[in-house]
Amino acid sequence: MLLFAEVNVEALVMAAIILAITLGITFWASKKASSAVGFYAAGRQITGRQNGLAISGDYLSAASFLGIAGLIFLYGFDGFLYSIGFLVAFLTVMFLLAERMRNAGKYTIADVLSFRLNETPARAAAALGTFAVVTFYLIAQMVGAGVLIEKLVGINFSLAVLLTGAFMLCYVIFGGMVATTWVQIVKAVLLMAGILTMSIFVLGKVGFNPVELFNRANENKGPESTFSLAPGTYLPKPLDTVSLGLALVLGTAGLPHILMRFFTVPNAKAARSSVVWAMFIIGFFYLLTTFIGFGARAFLGEGGVEGAGTGGNLAAPNLAAFLGGGEGTFGGDLFLAFIAGVAFATILAVVAGLVLSASAAFSHDIWSSIVRKGKDSEHEEVLVARIAAFGIGVIAIIIAIIGGSGLNVSFMVGLAFAVAASANFPALVLALSWRRFNTTGAITGVVTGVVSSIFLVIVSPKVWPGADTVTGSPIGWTLNNPGIISIPLGFLGCFLGTILSKERTEERSFNELFVRSETGLGSERALEKVG
Amino acid sequence: MTDWERIERSDEFRELVKRRRSFVVPATIFFLVYYMAFIIVAGYAPDFMGESVYQGLTVGYCYALTQFVMVFVLGLWYLRKSDKEFDPLADKVVEAAAEFEAGDVRFVRKDDTEVKA
Repeated sequence: MLLFAEVNVEALVMAAIILAITLGITFWASKKASSAVGFYAAGRQITGRQNGLAISGDYLSAASFLGIAGLIFLYGFDGFLYSIGFLVAFLTVMFLLAERMRNAGKYTIADVLSFRLNETPARAAAALGTFAVVTFYLIAQMVGAGVLIEKLVGINFSLAVLLTGAFMLCYVIFGGMVATTWVQIVKAVLLMAGILTMSIFVLGKVGFNPVELFNRANENKGPESTFSLAPGTYLPKPLDTVSLGLALVLGTAGLPHILMRFFTVPNAKAARSSVVWAMFIIGFFYLLTTFIGFGARAFLGEGGVEGAGTGGNLAAPNLAAFLGGGEGTFGGDLFLAFIAGVAFATILAVVAGLVLSASAAFSHDIWSSIVRKGKDSEHEEVLVARIAAFGIGVIAIIIAIIGGSGLNVSFMVGLAFAVAASANFPALVLALSWRRFNTTGAITGVVTGVVSSIFLVIVSPKVWPGADTVTGSPIGWTLNNPGIISIPLGFLGCFLGTILSKERTEERSFNELFVRSETGLGSERALEKVG
Repeated sequence: MTDWERIERSDEFRELVKRRRSFVVPATIFFLVYYMAFIIVAGYAPDFMGESVYQGLTVGYCYALTQFVMVFVLGLWYLRKSDKEFDPLADKVVEAAAEFEAGDVRFVRKDDTEVKA
């Protein structure tokens, strides 16, 4: 087996520098991550601005950076549709969940869901939602990491996945939320620096006139090109577009690794300001990705399509090489290496956040609350969290390597958003705002959301591609995106489960949850600063 | 033990919830409608979205830019409203709760009769 095909030395050096910085952070953080509140919530000492950067680092995956730039390069406007949904979603998070999660919760989304419900089943339901989302998202990111690192750095796919997984586990196991947060902050700064530099280079070539960039991009499509300044090329079915849009705008508010970030700040005010910081950083980022995508079309043209690979993921790195003076030149290789390093850091920060949220769901919800009924020590819970992180990471590495580079990354990410929007989002929102909501409703809602979104994806034409326009789906299903059906089903599951069950007992009152989530009265305190 | 029910019924808390809702509910409806309108137009009227406003600058790109503006404006507006209006009200609720627990009768029912501790 050829492990090192054509190693890009500059890219390797760049990756090594990033790894050295992140390992330094992990070593520093390891002393602060020994308590439960340190391991899961970074002692709740992260400021609003830091958390805004960390949310951006947690959220902007390689699918956002390379994927959207690639989609715009290949299909034009449709790629930009994703960006809008990913950004507007933060209004959902801000208005409906951020502050209330911070006030009512402790470490995981299950804390909020089970606040006044029957703890064991409610935590199990929340953990199911978390595991479903994290599994799809994590495997997607790991496969994406393997493909990109193989292409950019020149090492073998399996080795690339293994290395990514090993570093991810190192941050989470030794540095917990403290290390994960700072890795995400460093990554957000690097990513913004990278995309800003590229944008300035791109705009410099058209006299800093974006309209000229769009003109050139539009001139540079061949007769058979999929590229268009109008929508409908990548997403030709209108109802599918609407379904996708719905899942994007509601799904972010059900992503456990994003919601978990709100437990790391001292109070609701910081949670609120962190969302607004994240909105500006992420919004600015998505605006710049259009310059990268249209820039790649304007300068690489139709001839660059083949080199951009599946989904156009390599359009941005190829554009970087072009902007630096062309492939093979010192400037070109250096710019390519820089962007490759940024992409590497991007993936690491996202997968670390994902593994941490899943390990917290296992140790805090399943082990400590359900198996040990709260009788375990804090030391034991953190130890279990570390072991769980290791287990989850190893499983993800194995699935990613077995599934190989053939697994469709955007399909898995879409599935993760659909599950988050259909299962976690309805249950959380109703738990916080509907007085009558009960345990049965939470369970039926989460289960309906998970099952319906996964089922509708399995029978979708994406999985059963037919000849031309004829769907190959076994039940004649024509939508690729399940959101428009599965999100209402998730809400309906919560509603029917609640009104059809006779359950009336409550562990704690809705009054307590309501007052606490609105005012912060009785909410978790930040650790006193140590050291 | 904090008496959550009493706090929930207090005027301070009702005022906080009323004021915050009167901002958050219309804002949420507005942004969801404005965003979904964009997605629906993109899905069902691609030609309109592809029309040129000025050379390569299309209706769709301009429409998309207004979504960015909406997110930034609503974000900053809510931040400002919270600092000036909602946070002081929430502080009042917390203060009143603390005073009540300390034995000071501060909670007044809707019908203006004092609640004895």
